[in-house]
Amino acid sequence: MAFLRSPHAHARIGRVDLASARAMPGVVTCVTAADLRDTVRPLRAASRMTGYHATDLLPLAADKVRYQGEPVVAVVAESRYVAEDAVDAIAVEWSPLPPVPDARAAMAAESPLVHEEFGTNVILTRAFRHGDVDPALAGAALVVRERFRFRRHAALPIENRAALAAWNADGLTLWSSTQVPGMVRDALAESLAVPGHRIRVVAPDVGGGFGLKSSVYAEEIAVAALARRVGRPVKWIGDRREDLLASTQAWDEEIDATLALDGHGTIRGLRASVLADVGAYSIVPWTASIEVIQVISFLPGPYRVPAYLGEGAGVATNKAPMGPYRGVGRPVATFVMESLLDRAARRLGLDPREIRRRNFITEFPWRSPSGIVWDSGSFAETLDEAARLADWDGVRAAQSLRGDATRRLGVGVASYVELTGIGSAIPASPGADIATGTEGATVRVDPTGTVTASFGLACHGQGHETTLAQVVADTLGARLDDVRVVHGDTSAGPIGTGTYASRSAVLGGGAAILASRSVREKALAIAAHQLEADARDIELQESAAWVRGAPDRRVSLREIARSAYLGARRLPKGLEPGLEATRYYDPFFGTASSATHIAVVEVDLALGAVTVLRHVVVEDCGRVINPRIVEGQTIGGVAQGIGGALLEELVYDDQAQLATGSLMDYLPPTAWEIPPIVVRHLDRPSPSTIGGFKGVGEGGTIGAPAAIANAVSDALGSLGVEIAELPVTPDRIFRLLASRAPRTG
Amino acid sequence: MKPAKFEYHAPGSVDEAIALLGRYEGDAKVLAGGQSLVPLLNFRLSRPAALIDLNRIPSLAYIRADDGVVRFGAMTRQRTIEFSDVVRQRLPLLSEATRLVGHLPIRTRGTIGGSIAHADPSAEYPAILAALDGEVVVKGPKGERTVKARELFQTYLTTSLESDEVLTEVRLPAIDAGAGTAFEEFSRRHGDFAIIGIAAVIAGDGASCSMARLATAGAGPIPVRLRAAEEILERDGLGDAPIAAAAARAAELVDPDSDIHASSAYRKHLTGVLTERAVRRAMAKRGR
Amino acid sequence: MPEPVSISLTVNGIAREGRCEPRKLLVDFIREDLELTGTHVGCEHGICGACTVIVNGEAARSCLMLAVQAEGAEILTIEGLAKDGKFHPLQEAFRQHHGLQCGFCTPGMLLTALDFLRVNPHPTELEIREGIAAVLCRCTGYQGIVKAVDAAAKELGRTTG
Repeated sequence: MAFLRSPHAHARIGRVDLASARAMPGVVTCVTAADLRDTVRPLRAASRMTGYHATDLLPLAADKVRYQGEPVVAVVAESRYVAEDAVDAIAVEWSPLPPVPDARAAMAAESPLVHEEFGTNVILTRAFRHGDVDPALAGAALVVRERFRFRRHAALPIENRAALAAWNADGLTLWSSTQVPGMVRDALAESLAVPGHRIRVVAPDVGGGFGLKSSVYAEEIAVAALARRVGRPVKWIGDRREDLLASTQAWDEEIDATLALDGHGTIRGLRASVLADVGAYSIVPWTASIEVIQVISFLPGPYRVPAYLGEGAGVATNKAPMGPYRGVGRPVATFVMESLLDRAARRLGLDPREIRRRNFITEFPWRSPSGIVWDSGSFAETLDEAARLADWDGVRAAQSLRGDATRRLGVGVASYVELTGIGSAIPASPGADIATGTEGATVRVDPTGTVTASFGLACHGQGHETTLAQVVADTLGARLDDVRVVHGDTSAGPIGTGTYASRSAVLGGGAAILASRSVREKALAIAAHQLEADARDIELQESAAWVRGAPDRRVSLREIARSAYLGARRLPKGLEPGLEATRYYDPFFGTASSATHIAVVEVDLALGAVTVLRHVVVEDCGRVINPRIVEGQTIGGVAQGIGGALLEELVYDDQAQLATGSLMDYLPPTAWEIPPIVVRHLDRPSPSTIGGFKGVGEGGTIGAPAAIANAVSDALGSLGVEIAELPVTPDRIFRLLASRAPRTG
Repeated sequence: MKPAKFEYHAPGSVDEAIALLGRYEGDAKVLAGGQSLVPLLNFRLSRPAALIDLNRIPSLAYIRADDGVVRFGAMTRQRTIEFSDVVRQRLPLLSEATRLVGHLPIRTRGTIGGSIAHADPSAEYPAILAALDGEVVVKGPKGERTVKARELFQTYLTTSLESDEVLTEVRLPAIDAGAGTAFEEFSRRHGDFAIIGIAAVIAGDGASCSMARLATAGAGPIPVRLRAAEEILERDGLGDAPIAAAAARAAELVDPDSDIHASSAYRKHLTGVLTERAVRRAMAKRGR
Repeated sequence: MPEPVSISLTVNGIAREGRCEPRKLLVDFIREDLELTGTHVGCEHGICGACTVIVNGEAARSCLMLAVQAEGAEILTIEGLAKDGKFHPLQEAFRQHHGLQCGFCTPGMLLTALDFLRVNPHPTELEIREGIAAVLCRCTGYQGIVKAVDAAAKELGRTTG
């Protein structure tokens, strides 16, 4: 399948002539929104936010297109080549409308409207207030202000999105490159009016996601609807151009922020106003708020902020929709707060490390100004250890040796705390009824003694097959090799939504522990019965049970399991047959992961080029299940953060046309741009989650941009240049330096 | 991202290729290494009626050095050039620049003739052709002709080749053993096209400069030979002041366009910076 | 109307044949006609390197070659890297050093590294970074891959004397 996608950012769709396309050999069908109107219902992301306007998610645009790349016609053909030929043969009468190219323009009174029926382009607002911020700012010894800008970003998994739908008498199977098979299943049931038990969504080996694949997409609905219509399986393999044009995008916020401090560098208050370009639609199920709310939620960071006002507005523009991306809001929030702190430290003559130490939260639990509860945090410890590993003092010494050389060294720090393993107390947005706060696990021991642990999660590179197997094996007392993890298939496990928001270790791991404990308890009872002992005296390890102190006489997990299914003949009186359990876990608030990043950079003043020489992360992600996997997640996240800080930017022109529609222009880093990255873990089990796990999937991307921005500001500090816009490209550095060059003559 | 339909021909000789090009009257494309053309086909930005594939003409792949000229068959792979001892000895500038062309798997297929005929002004090979005052051999229905670098490049992706002509050979004058060369390039990522690249050849003893050759990549619609900057060095030598003056002159000589990666002002600035760096590095390599 | 073309080539040591339109990309021919889906498609314009295969002994982007151009060629895809059920030392090293996460870039990365180590059997860390810069990985931050290629270079150096 291929889509005719809008070449315009904003246009009315007139007559669509499908005749020549339909007549092409090998073309099965071509459809427009009108053809699907009776069989596909629109989906909407609900929320009770003030001033929120939900938008329809439909497989194809009807009447009007609102971003370049929006699907308008779906073509099913016998090959992608022929489908693209057919797309070329379709004639659409477009009536272009003036586009809304960015959030500032969208706010103007005379701006065209992305959705006329709302009467505004502001589709949501939200604010967090704590204490009285105005007097705090008015009476402060030091006030630092800046307008920050973090440009638009693409998650860019190397595997593009793809979906394959096949119907049979039992219903629909959709294979999709998604992080959220459970959400997609529920959405398809609603959209296609098919009972949920007739829909199976499978996310097999998924080639990376990073948040981009955690929403429900038009193309998934389209393949399912078209496969039903033509009575044959339909496959859509998105290509890179489609990915850059029509996958959800990230960041793109402008933040006016003011930080007030006393003369010792103690924070008195923080005020921030965030303007977010959320693109053309409010995505399902997250809404358009996901970035902007997280920015204002997390701006105060790991610091005591006695007075806070964070206001955010999500503004619709004629760009691809904004969606979740690794870190969601927190890379932006951390960039702003850490930049403000460094500015304050420079004004006060304080070491950047010292100003942080003076403001870190040290008592837990701590309720943040936006109402989030931090259950724990190792902020000062991560900072001190990171500074040691990065050789902070050595960099300072080298800086003074270099003096005003062309190549300047800089060192930058960023500390943050993130909410991970989010439970039901924190909905995705106010009033949202998607089950992001719970997750289930089924642990089953079959009569051969092997263990299948199934989850509603979906793995796309995190190594759940390893980590969750470790959790189950350790808790249950089974051999690791005897445990198989099944995930990413809505028909193969308990109800769940998927993998996103650094939740799988906490929620999946927690559910796995609960289920494994239930199974273990029963296995102990059966073993005790067979060994004629008390269950409290039974050891169960490595798939074998024995009476403590008498390891010679053993029963294997296999024997226990066989007995469990044979029933009353082999079981203690009254014990129900079977050896499996399904349990759900809700961490309620969630838990707090934290880290300090330190980047050491070299800035070539003549080229305006930044090279990251090394990057250090010291993190507290709770109890570490598998150090190598944690390290891999962190380093990978840092690499994306480096890309976001230096290289990657989705550029739209003033007509809202994407100027970075290929990997010649959108620039994820190669191995050459990524320095050696040092990662250290503090093993500090979470006080509030089962298993003590904290999430770690996103952290690398949260801290890296801020640390790099601060390092560049440090390198250029003596020239009066401070970074307020990311990515900090060579051209931007050139302009910053040129604008501050002493004028002569 | 699949190519539109085209006829495909893989002629066994240049004459056959020329005849095929004539038959399509400008609506056929020559396929050399394909590393630039196939992306254009995949994006359907190029929709020729036919492709004339030169990859089945073995006689177009060679490196021959004689009479102070190194001659490359148009289909000589960049990878072959990268590992060629002849090139390393006679054209060290080309050896160095070749390692900046994409990545090794790109150079496996990419050819010198294809790169030059494609005439991407950000590419390395057109800059070298301009710096060394090289020429290409072009064959068409009316026979063979040679075209100098300055007559070859017309604007972005456009040469003076006729639609029924095939670029068959690239001729680069060998660099004097005593001269120093450098290719200074700045790109956003490793392997990307240059934001600015500067090819430099410097000859002369000590601070004297008997010959300077400088040309750009990325500084406008065609590679720019920086003759006025060369003259400063040839006249005033290789002291700090003339080098700075030559670099400043280089920046004045170019009129680059702005794009999403770099503004015109920044590219002009880089032209000066990289000219100075290229000259200094070439100087240091003299006589080795 | 272009006629379909017949293609005969050797893939992973086995003679294969197929018939397709001349416009068909080599990567699509490998995946769809030869049903070797280990070679991945990531960008179709030669930047990401996911589709890299070995053509006549050298790494090349299979999205930038037409299938018809591979007539008579010898191609190695990821399916041919392990021998007799035993991982190639590069594969083993990627496993040992956590050189992959989602695995999507891995086939192209492995074959790129194979070619790179033939050209440069004793690389420094920076040379490895330069070599594998030919392939984009979004998961690993490359560190595990760099370690794996380094380890494989040492292992290959040891086993081949």
